[in-house]
Amino acid sequence: MDIAVLVKEVPDLEARVQVVQDGGALDVENKRVLNFFDEIAVAAALQLKEAGGGGRVYAVGAGSGLEAVRRAIAMGADAGFLVDDPAVDGADPLTVARALAAVVRAEGFDLVLAGRQATDDEAGLVGPMVAELLGVPCVVGVTAAEPADGGLVVGREVDGASERLSVPVPAVLTAEKGWVEPRVPQVMGLMKAMKAEIGRRTLADLGVEPVPPLAAAGYHGPRSRPAVRMVEGEPAEAAGELVRILRDEARVL
Amino acid sequence: MDFRLSEEQQFFRQAVADTVDRLIMPRVEQIDTEDAIPQDLWKEFAGLGYLGLRYPEDLGGMAADPVTCMIFYEEVTRASVGFAQAVIMNMLMGTHFLYRFGSPAIRERCLLPALRGEKIATICFTEDQSGSDLAATRTLARKVDGGWVLNGTKNWITNGPTADFATVLATTGPDKGMKGLNFFLVERGADGFRSGQVLHKLGARGPVTGELVFEDVFVPDEHLLGEEEGKGVVYLGEILDEVRCMTGAMALGIARTAFADGLEYARKREAFGRPIGEFQLVRAKFAEMATDLEAARLLVYYAAWMIGEGLGPRKEAAMAKMFATEACLNVVDEVTRIYGGNGFATEYGPQRYFRDARFLLYGGGTHEVLKNFIGRELVKGR
Repeated sequence: MDIAVLVKEVPDLEARVQVVQDGGALDVENKRVLNFFDEIAVAAALQLKEAGGGGRVYAVGAGSGLEAVRRAIAMGADAGFLVDDPAVDGADPLTVARALAAVVRAEGFDLVLAGRQATDDEAGLVGPMVAELLGVPCVVGVTAAEPADGGLVVGREVDGASERLSVPVPAVLTAEKGWVEPRVPQVMGLMKAMKAEIGRRTLADLGVEPVPPLAAAGYHGPRSRPAVRMVEGEPAEAAGELVRILRDEARVL
Repeated sequence: MDFRLSEEQQFFRQAVADTVDRLIMPRVEQIDTEDAIPQDLWKEFAGLGYLGLRYPEDLGGMAADPVTCMIFYEEVTRASVGFAQAVIMNMLMGTHFLYRFGSPAIRERCLLPALRGEKIATICFTEDQSGSDLAATRTLARKVDGGWVLNGTKNWITNGPTADFATVLATTGPDKGMKGLNFFLVERGADGFRSGQVLHKLGARGPVTGELVFEDVFVPDEHLLGEEEGKGVVYLGEILDEVRCMTGAMALGIARTAFADGLEYARKREAFGRPIGEFQLVRAKFAEMATDLEAARLLVYYAAWMIGEGLGPRKEAAMAKMFATEACLNVVDEVTRIYGGNGFATEYGPQRYFRDARFLLYGGGTHEVLKNFIGRELVKGR
C-alpha cells in the first residue's frame, strides 16, 4: 500500500507568541516543529505499511515545511516532496490543498494521511479538501485503522463512544491523538533524512493557481487573569464570604 | 565566509534537541539527585544510535564532521551535564584509541558493544599527583613475555566503578617523561584490576566517578593501543583539539539553559511594580551574558570547523575551551543572582547549573595550563 502523509511545520507549542503592531500582526518565536497531529499520521502510516506488508510511505509538505518533510523521513518515511513556492506560505488552505493533491495524484497513492489539524491555525481544512479534490472518501479524527477486505476498518472517538467504520481505499484519513505514539527517530533515520533528495515542485509545475487568501482582520491576546484573591477566616465564615463574592461581585451565582 | 550551519546541520540540531527534550529533560533532576544514570534512559538513548556519531558508517556510526559532533555535545549537555558526560565518554575518549589501534577482536569485544551502549567505556589519566601534568604519570607498565604488567592507581575516573573496560595511560619508564607514555586496554575481570574509592561530586552528578586500582594486572601485547611504543602523547594529540572543543560545546549547553531560564524569570518576576527584566542593571547582565555566549559559540564552532578542515587548531581549540567555560561560569553566576534568593534554592535550576559548570574547569587542561600553552605557542610564533 502506497501511503502519502501530508505534513506541516508549525511553531513549537512552547514558542513565544506576541501580538504586535496594535493587533495588526503576530510575532512568533522562530522555534518550529512538525505538527503534533502530523507526527501521529507519519507514525500511523509506518505502522500501516508494516501491517500491510510493504508499499511506500512518502511525506508531502509545502512552503517552509522542508524540515517537517525531513523529520518524516527520519521517522522512517521512504521519500519526501515539498511544494517549494513562496506563494504557499500564508496561502489559503484551498491553494495548499490543491498543491498537495496535485503532488499526491502524480506520485500515486492508496491512502493519504494527515493530521486532524495543524496546531497553528487549528483550521483542519486541508485533509478533507484534499479528499474532495482527489474524489475519495475522508474520515477525520481517526484513532485506529487496520487493513480488512481490501479496504480499512477505522476507529474514531465520538461523543461518549467509539465508532468503527469500513472504508474503501483509496481514502484520506486524518489522525487524532491516541492512534499511535510517535517514535523518536534513530540516528540512521536522521542520516537518511539529511541526505535525502527532496522532490521540489512549484505551483506552476503543479498547475495550481493560488486563490486569494483569507486576511486576518486583527489579533488580540487572551484576557489577562486578575490576581488570585485569598478568602481568609474560619471555614464556615470563609465559605459565607466566598458565596457573597460569587453572588454580589463576580455575579456568577 | 558563511557562518550559517548547513541545512543538514540545522535539521540535525533540531532533531537532537527534540530527542533531548523528550527523553532527557524530564529526568535531569532525578539524575542530579540520585547521582546515577537511569538504566532505562541509557538503554533508550543509546538504542537510537548516537554513540557512534563520530565513527565511520561500517562501525554503525554516522561519520559526522566535528561541527555536527559539537552540535550534539551542546544539545545533550543543555539538559544534563552528567548524562552528557556518560554519553560522550562512550563516544569519544573511552573508545577512540580502541577505534584507532584495536585489533579486530578488540573492536568486536569492546568497541562495537560500547557504541551500542551495551558496554561502558572509560579513560584513565589522572592520578594523585598528576592531572594536566601527564609526564608525572606513575602508573607503570612493565614488559613481560607476551604482554605487559600494570601497577598503579588512577583517580577521578568517570564511569570508573561501572566501566566494562578502560583505556589506561601508563608509563613504561618514569625517567622517559612524555616519551614513556602509552595507552593500554584493561578489561573488567582482569586479575588485579578493581574499583577503589567512589568520589562524591559537587556537580556533574550522574556517572559514578572514582578510583581504579591496578595491581600486577597482566594484559596481552595487543592491548598496547598504538602502532609504536612511546607514542601515547602523540596519539593523544590526535583528539586533544576535539576534546577541548567538546568541553567548550558542553559549556555552551549549560550556559544556554541557564540563560534561557534567567530570561524567563526576569520577564515574570516582579519587583517594585514591574518585571525585573525592565531594570537597566538586569538588562545589562543579559547584554553581557549574550555577548559572551555569542563569542564563545563563534570560537567553539570555528575551532571545530578548523578540525574538520584539517587545520589543526591547537591554540584556537584551547582558547575555545577556556573562553566558553569562563563565559559559562559567568552566565551561571549571573543567573543565580537574577533569581535572587531563589537562585540558592534547590527547587530551582540555577543552583544545579552553578554546580555543574565548575566541572568543565578541569577536563582538557586547567585554564592555567591552557594559558601557558597558548602563550607558549604565540611566543614561538606558531
